[in-house]
Amino acid sequence: MATAEPLLEIRALCKRFPARAGREHPPWVIRDLTFSVAEREFLTIVGPSGAGKSTLLNMLAQIETASGGEVRFQSQPIALDDPKALSPGLACRIGYVTQEDNLLPWRTMLQNVLFPLAVQGRLTPETRARAETLIRTVGLAGFEHHYPHELSGGMRKRAALIRTLVYDPPVILMDEPFGALDAQTRTQLQQDLHQLWIGGRKTIVFVTHDIAEAIALGDRTLVLSPPPAHVAGEHVIDIPHPRDIRAIMTHPAFAGLYERIRAQVH
Amino acid sequence: MTALGEGRSRDPADLRWSQAASTLRARGDQVIVLIVLIAIWQTASLALGVYWVGSPWGVASRVAAGAFSGDLLRHAAYTALEAAAGFALGALPAAALPFALRRFPIATAIIDPFMVGGYGAPKLALAPLFILWFGIGIESKIALVAITVFFIVYFSALAGVRALDAKLVQMAQVAGAHERQVVRHIVLPGAVPYIFTGLRIAMPYSIGGAVIAELISSNRGLGYLVQLGAMNFDTTGVLAALTAVTLIVFVGNWSVNAAERRLLRWRPPADLRLQAGT
Amino acid sequence: MTLQQPALDRAAPTGIGWQRHAIVLGRIGFAALLVLAWKIGADAAGPLYLADPIKVGQRIAADLASGALIRHAYVTLRLAAIGFAIGCTAGVALPFLLRRLPRLTAAIEPYIMASVGIPKYALVPLFILWFGIDDAPKLWLVGLLVFYVVFIAVFAGIRSVDRRLIDMARVVGASEAAISREVIWNSLMPFFFAALKIALPRAVSAAIIGEFLVGNEGLGYMIESARQNFDTTGVFAGIVAATTLVLVVNAMLTALDRRINAWRPADRDTQV
Repeated sequence: MATAEPLLEIRALCKRFPARAGREHPPWVIRDLTFSVAEREFLTIVGPSGAGKSTLLNMLAQIETASGGEVRFQSQPIALDDPKALSPGLACRIGYVTQEDNLLPWRTMLQNVLFPLAVQGRLTPETRARAETLIRTVGLAGFEHHYPHELSGGMRKRAALIRTLVYDPPVILMDEPFGALDAQTRTQLQQDLHQLWIGGRKTIVFVTHDIAEAIALGDRTLVLSPPPAHVAGEHVIDIPHPRDIRAIMTHPAFAGLYERIRAQVH
Repeated sequence: MTALGEGRSRDPADLRWSQAASTLRARGDQVIVLIVLIAIWQTASLALGVYWVGSPWGVASRVAAGAFSGDLLRHAAYTALEAAAGFALGALPAAALPFALRRFPIATAIIDPFMVGGYGAPKLALAPLFILWFGIGIESKIALVAITVFFIVYFSALAGVRALDAKLVQMAQVAGAHERQVVRHIVLPGAVPYIFTGLRIAMPYSIGGAVIAELISSNRGLGYLVQLGAMNFDTTGVLAALTAVTLIVFVGNWSVNAAERRLLRWRPPADLRLQAGT
Repeated sequence: MTLQQPALDRAAPTGIGWQRHAIVLGRIGFAALLVLAWKIGADAAGPLYLADPIKVGQRIAADLASGALIRHAYVTLRLAAIGFAIGCTAGVALPFLLRRLPRLTAAIEPYIMASVGIPKYALVPLFILWFGIDDAPKLWLVGLLVFYVVFIAVFAGIRSVDRRLIDMARVVGASEAAISREVIWNSLMPFFFAALKIALPRAVSAAIIGEFLVGNEGLGYMIESARQNFDTTGVFAGIVAATTLVLVVNAMLTALDRRINAWRPADRDTQV
C-alpha cells in the first residue's frame, strides 16, 4: 500500500509578479520552495498572511503560472510557465476550495453542489445520491432550494466545500476555507472536514494562518517564511486519528508543537 | 408611557399601525388628486370646448367604442407589432455581440468608437431615410425601432459581459468546465441582469420610435390615428389613441419587469433596490 | 536551483504597445470599410436608395458655402436651447417646491411617474393643434423631454441627500431656504450634471424630430423635405449634418464634464 513516489512534488518553485513600469526587479514572492505531498496525506501549511500562500495554491491548481521551478503530479511534470498551457484543476484531478465561496448566485444550493458533476457530464443517480449524502453530513439538509444570498456565511462555506468533495478529485487544495467564520462555526466545520477526510482519506493540502487549526487537522505541517517564501520548517503531527478537534488543545503533544511552530512563524 | 412623559411610543405595534395609517392616507390623497384632475379636465372641456381638450367621458367612451369595434385594437396591434418585432430584431444581435467578441478584446476596442457614435447619434433622425427605403409600410418602422434598441442593449450587454467575476470562471475551470460551459453557466447568467437593464431602458424607445415613424408617414397604427385625429380637429380621437399608446407602454414595461423577476429570482434584495432606483 | 529567465519574460505582460497600434489601425480600417461598403452599395442600389458618398460630401460643402446649412443648424440649435432652458428651469424648480410639500408630493408622485410612460413625441400633433404651426409645439416637445430628464434626476437627488446633514443644518439654525441652497443643492450636483449630459443632446434630437413634423426651417425640415422630394442626396446630407451636430454637442459636454469634475474621485456611478 505504501507508494514510493509522492503524489505531488514541488521543487524549487519560484514566483515573482510581472515588472511594472519603472521597476526593474520586482521582488520574489516565492523562491526555492521545495516540498512533497504523499498520497492520502493531510498536509497543512502555515505562514503569515500575505506570504504567498494563496499564490502557491493558485499555481498548484494551475490557475497561475510560475516563474521557475518544477511541479510533478504522479511523477508527471506539469506545465508551469506558459499561460496557454495551463490546465486549471489538471483535468479535475486537483480540486480547489478557495477563500471566497464562489458559489454561483443564480443557482440553488443543490444546483451549486451538483455543478462540477454537471459540467463533467457525470450527473447520475449515484452521484446525485452522493451529493445528497454530503449535504446531510454537513448539516445543510432542507436548504437545497435556497439561493446563496439566502444562506449564512457558514452555510455557503459548507456548500463550497462539498461542491469540491462531490466529484472526488484525488488531491484537494484548501485556502483558509474557514478563515472568515466565527469560532464556533469554524470548529464545527473543522470537525466535519476531519470526519469526511477520515471516511475517504483524500490527499489534502490545507493552507491557514491559524497554527492551532494546522495542528488540529494535519498529519504534517509546513511553515512558510515571509516573502520570498520558502519552507522554513516541517513538523510531523503525531496525534493519532480520529481526533476530537474541539478538544485538540488538551492533547499532550499540542502545546509543544504549537510552541515550536509559532517560533518558526516569527 | 415613558418616564419623560409625552415621548413618541416606540412600541413596534404602534409603529406598524402608524405606518399603515400614513400609507392609507397617501392612497386616499392619490384618489383625491385623481378626482381633482378629472374635474379640472371636465371643467376645461366645458370652458374651452370639447374640440380643444376632449372630455373625460368622451375619451373614455371613444376608447371603449374603438375597443369593441376592433378598430382601435387593430391599430394598436399594428403599432405593438412594430415595436415588438423591432425590439427583438435589435435586442438579440445587440445582446449576442459582446458574447461573440468576448475572446477578442481588440475587436471590441476597434468598434467601440463606432458604437459610441451610434449610441449618441439621433437614430430617430433616420426615420425619413427608412421611410424612403422601405416605404410607409411596417418595415420602415421595424427598422427604426431595431436600430434604436440595438445600441442601447449593446452597451448594457457589454457591461454585463465585462462585469464577469474572474474568480467564478476560475472555479468553473477547476471544476472541469470547457469554454462553452463557462460561457453558458457563468458568463451568460452573470450578464442577464445587465441585459435586462438595457431591455427595460430600450422598451419605451421601441414604442416611441414606432409611433414617431407612424406620425411622419403611415396609414395604419396608433401614430397614424393621432395624426389623423389632429388633422380632423378630432381631439377626442387623438386623446383616445394616446391613451392606447400609454397602455401599450405600461404593458410593455410590465412584461419586461415580470420576465426579469422570474429570471432573476436569485438576486439578493439589496441589488433589487438599487435596480429599482433607475 | 534554476531561475528561468525566459519564463520571467513570458510572465510579464508584453506587447501592450502592439495592441494599441492594432486597435488604431483596426478603427481606421473599419471606417474605411464602412465608407467603401457605402460606395459599393450606392453604385449597386442606385441613387434613389443610397446617395453616392462623394455627392453627399459635395452637397454638404455646397450647403455650407451657401449658408443654408448654417442657417438651418442655427434654427435647430436655437430651438433646442430655448426648450432646454425652459425644461431645465421647470425640472429644477418643481422638485424644490415639492420638497416643502411632502403630502402633496406623495399624492401626485404616481401620476408623474405614470406620465413618464407617455411617449412625448406622440403629443406633437396635439401640440400643433393647440399651439399652431410655429415654434410653439416644438418648444413644448423639447421642453417636456428635458423637463422629465431633469425632474427625475433632481427629484431622486433631493431624496438621496444625507438626512443627517439636513438635521445638522436645522440644529444649527439654518432656514429651509438656506438648507436648500447649501446642503441640497451641493449634494445634488452630480445627479444634475449627469442629467444635463443626457438632456442637452436629447434636446437637439427632439428639435430635429419636431421639425420633421412641423415647420419650414431647421435641420429636421431639411431632411424631411428632401425625402418628400425623393432627394436622397439631400436626405443623406441632412442626416450627416444632424448626426454630426448631436455628436459634437455630446463630445463638448463630455469634455466639459471631465474638466469640471476632474477633482472628483469616483463619481462614475451617475453614468447611464
